[in-house]
Amino acid sequence: MQKNIEATLRTRDTNKEALIREKAIEIIVKHGFDGLSMHKLAKSAGVSVATIYIYFKDREDLIQQLYTEETRKMADATLRNFDPEARFDEGLKVQWLNRMNYCLENPYSMTFMEQLKHSPLVSRATMDTRFLNAMSRFVHKAIEQKEIVSLPVEIYWSIAFAPLYQLVKFHISKTSMPGRPPFVFDEAKINQTLELVIKALKP
Amino acid sequence: MKNYTTEEFVLVFRTNINRKKHVKSISRLLNNCGEIIRWNVDLTDIDNVLRIEATHPDCGPMIALVNRAGYACEELTD
Repeated sequence: MQKNIEATLRTRDTNKEALIREKAIEIIVKHGFDGLSMHKLAKSAGVSVATIYIYFKDREDLIQQLYTEETRKMADATLRNFDPEARFDEGLKVQWLNRMNYCLENPYSMTFMEQLKHSPLVSRATMDTRFLNAMSRFVHKAIEQKEIVSLPVEIYWSIAFAPLYQLVKFHISKTSMPGRPPFVFDEAKINQTLELVIKALKP
Repeated sequence: MKNYTTEEFVLVFRTNINRKKHVKSISRLLNNCGEIIRWNVDLTDIDNVLRIEATHPDCGPMIALVNRAGYACEELTD
């Protein structure tokens, strides 16, 4: 009976919770969503299955919470020292460096977010409004001041950020085109790419 | 990082409740139980975990309740 009470007393341990989250992302990245079972997760985080259920209602809830948390972290990182009122080329450079550093420091997180991007497993309606407002202000101000052309947001995003993420992927995977040496995304290459991106978006 | 205690107790059981219609069939029973604040069954995992947020930490009455409805139910420990 005593053991029973100890096992179920709800003392939440935030370190333990963080470890469960971290391991869950690692398993999903390595083995896909179907590869994530509560047993495997418990083993890899060194906790009991029952402990996982203290923090998460079910597998779906776990994945949704991971998405919400990773989105928040990514948004925080992207907005660091970013001024939505800045000139477009300056603001975009800050964002590129922030996004790149975040991806390089959290490669699992980046892959995880990619896996979820088009998955029905999560509701993506909960995007950080602070982040969306800053991005929206930055772009609309640039359009008003004729720094960039007005485009559907998907096209804008694909030109402004997709090149960055592709080159980060080359860098992380240490491969690029067949027969080419490993790609290193350094300051010079960032500037070279950024220049082309800004040129493409100019009116 | 700080630790905190919530007021309710989370009780976790392994069951053989593995279909939506089974969940439905025990809904009224669990919804009407005054000791249960919230409950759900994780149908996506092999243990078919019944997770109950209860007003007390005692598993016995919950197991009896689920057994009475015709399902296996045991406390999930390590």
